[in-house]
Amino acid sequence: MAKSKAGLLQGTLDMLILKALSLGALHGYGIGQRIAQISGDALKIEEGSLYPGLYRLEQRGWVQSEWDVSDNNQRAKFYKLTRAGRKQLILEERNWERLAGATMKALRAS
Amino acid sequence: MSRIRATINSIRAHLHHDEIAREVETELRFHIEMRTRANIEGGMTPDVAQRAAVQSFGDFDNVKTECCEIRRSFPFNTSLLRMGLHIAIAALAGAAALWTVNTPHHSLPSLLSQLGFVAVLTCLFVIARRNQKPHVNN
Repeated sequence: MAKSKAGLLQGTLDMLILKALSLGALHGYGIGQRIAQISGDALKIEEGSLYPGLYRLEQRGWVQSEWDVSDNNQRAKFYKLTRAGRKQLILEERNWERLAGATMKALRAS
Repeated sequence: MSRIRATINSIRAHLHHDEIAREVETELRFHIEMRTRANIEGGMTPDVAQRAAVQSFGDFDNVKTECCEIRRSFPFNTSLLRMGLHIAIAALAGAAALWTVNTPHHSLPSLLSQLGFVAVLTCLFVIARRNQKPHVNN
């Protein structure tokens, strides 16, 4: 059975980036891979759109980056979650659950 | 602490524009290279793998420009800072004007120094006006 892939809103992408990084430091490509993995390959992300999202999160102080060497010995920029980013992820998860719950309630109303 | 780091990054991005653009490009090219490798491992020929990687990435130049702009932006609203700077320039201009009025104009050096002050004040005014961008509310 073919899976339908859902597009993402900016806020949702930010939350997924934070979630992916909550499991450990990654470079941009790795973040895309991890999001695909944790969503069961159900979310469609245009790969380039990850980077403006990452840069915005870094500007807000929710992630921080540093250059390091990747598994294939190439110079790559790795991102990790800051303490503020971890707090923000908890907040975003709560907001998302509340919004999803309210939307489901509205959809089930007869 | 993270905000301070972000502010330092923004200042650095303003001072080293070309270096930041190169960093962003290196990062984005790394992504395309990783995707190309994965495509080759998935059975594509190198040419097809490269094309597919570029296509799945999206508009490279647009992403690069957007990332550079975000790096240059400050993690706080700069309108207050700009207003403070304008007030400081105005106060400086006022103080200099007072000083000029209260100083005797007997000698050529004092006249030249006053003309110099007028030129400096004019430059400050022009620079302040040029840097004054319309504020956009998001």
